[in-house]
Amino acid sequence: MPGRPRDTLSVWQVVELARHPDRPYALDYIRRMAPDFVELHGDRVSHDDPALVAGLGTWRDMTVVFFGQQKGRNLAERVSRNWAMMHPEGYRKAMRLARQAAKFGFPIVSLVDTPGAFPGAGAEERGIALAIGQAIMGWFEIPVPVVAAVIGEGGSGGALGMAVADRVLMLENSIYSVASPEAAASIVWRDNARKVEAAAQLQITSRDLLAMGVVEEVVPEPEGGAHLDHEAAARALEAVLWRHLEQLLPIPTAELLQHRYERFRYIDSLLQAAPDFGPKVEPRGAAGNPAER
Amino acid sequence: MAASGGRLPPIALTTNCPSCGVGLVPETLRDQCYVCDCGHHFRMHGDAWIALLADAGSWHERWADIRPHDLLEWKVPKAYQETIDQARAEGLNEAVRVGTATLAGHPIWLAVFDFRFVGGSLSIVAGERLTRSLEQAAAARTPYVLLAASGGARMQEGILALMQMAKINAAVGRLHQAATPYFSILTDPTYGGVPASLALLADVNIAEPGAAIGFTGPRVIRQSTYADLPSGFQSAEFQLRCGQVDMVVARTELRARLAHLIELYLRPLRGRR
Repeated sequence: MPGRPRDTLSVWQVVELARHPDRPYALDYIRRMAPDFVELHGDRVSHDDPALVAGLGTWRDMTVVFFGQQKGRNLAERVSRNWAMMHPEGYRKAMRLARQAAKFGFPIVSLVDTPGAFPGAGAEERGIALAIGQAIMGWFEIPVPVVAAVIGEGGSGGALGMAVADRVLMLENSIYSVASPEAAASIVWRDNARKVEAAAQLQITSRDLLAMGVVEEVVPEPEGGAHLDHEAAARALEAVLWRHLEQLLPIPTAELLQHRYERFRYIDSLLQAAPDFGPKVEPRGAAGNPAER
Repeated sequence: MAASGGRLPPIALTTNCPSCGVGLVPETLRDQCYVCDCGHHFRMHGDAWIALLADAGSWHERWADIRPHDLLEWKVPKAYQETIDQARAEGLNEAVRVGTATLAGHPIWLAVFDFRFVGGSLSIVAGERLTRSLEQAAAARTPYVLLAASGGARMQEGILALMQMAKINAAVGRLHQAATPYFSILTDPTYGGVPASLALLADVNIAEPGAAIGFTGPRVIRQSTYADLPSGFQSAEFQLRCGQVDMVVARTELRARLAHLIELYLRPLRGRR
């Protein structure tokens, strides 16, 4: 739909763009940002999870640790990447390398693109719920700047496990949702064919999330969508990621972690403002902003 | 030690036990914490859990006045505002209630999911109550007891329901940093965003016999992978074998076990600190 005004896209058209088979995937961005990217593998317990790419490389003269939920371009690759649906080992690999980044002081970039964590028996047996819970909790203790971007699908807890960051960005035609439209329809209607209605109600577009204060910035895509020009999409994302990371680098660690805590503590600011919520238990910025102390 | 802190309120029951088929006598069952002679544990609502866990008269509820709001203006198949109003008319106050209490004389923070309120789903109000209580427990080093029963995050609150998982787990991290003992009781059913946030992150994870506990429900797993799931898949006993919970404890033994654990974890250290 080149040339089509962006604000006339229906929610479902955005979902289809977010899932477009030609859309740039995590490695398409990472390899452009850090051409010397070295992938590291394994959770050091039992497995490597190919649905999550992890490693380090040089970006703007810094060593940076990159994570990316990686989809496949063809059927064989999709199967081997498990459609970017992570198993517990993926979240454990992420936390191993996040702690390694912390040890060396490397900033972290995490690219989110998953329909959700893998809904399978093996994932359950090996503790997918706990792995996600530990990752979400663990990110709050990683004392280096973390910048995340939803580049396609931000599906449920499987996405959130890789999106606890100081700044969270979204590409214009990406989605981020409590559950995939299909899953939400299945829960609310017991019929996943109602996915289009579910998607409209869930408010999952970048514009919705920006308005709710859940993400800091929306990165505009090339006209017609990122799939039409990978190079331009990567340039746009790189520039915005850098602008945010640059602001985070000078912040002292204690302050960085306190801000990260408060970012999520008051992320529902829409409701925090409701009269029945009462005064905040910990006023925002109490530890971070010298002017308020 | 008494199996419950006070007399349990009545709960709605089927006429026969779904496990052994015996005809049920509500008053008898009430006196045995709604556990059938065959061992079947009936689901209990939030009021019954508070009566079971808290010493009689010790429950002091907090932040009961914060209310859900229909931020997404959710309309179909049922308006969210209608769901909220209906639940309130039935006397239910959200899917999670929190407060202070004593358990066998020990001060605790107690958080109780109520499956009757939109399937015990994790919402903004639930997340706010959990987070405030976790923060207070950490500040005072008061043991935290969670009673989980949930179908997952609340769809009608969209992305902000998902964000509660991060908000809550940040506070769980601070509870751990403050070395505050945390006990989680997982009951039937506990799924989705609740075990993937705070419910499995306790110092001691306790499951009720036969409780179904997991991330993705069996229906969705079968749909998406065509897998044959073994009987007992995602049961409390399965989660014990898989290393996700520390113990499976019968409801009638639960209070005594919690009291013992609180004593063990709160005992002053000799020659250190």
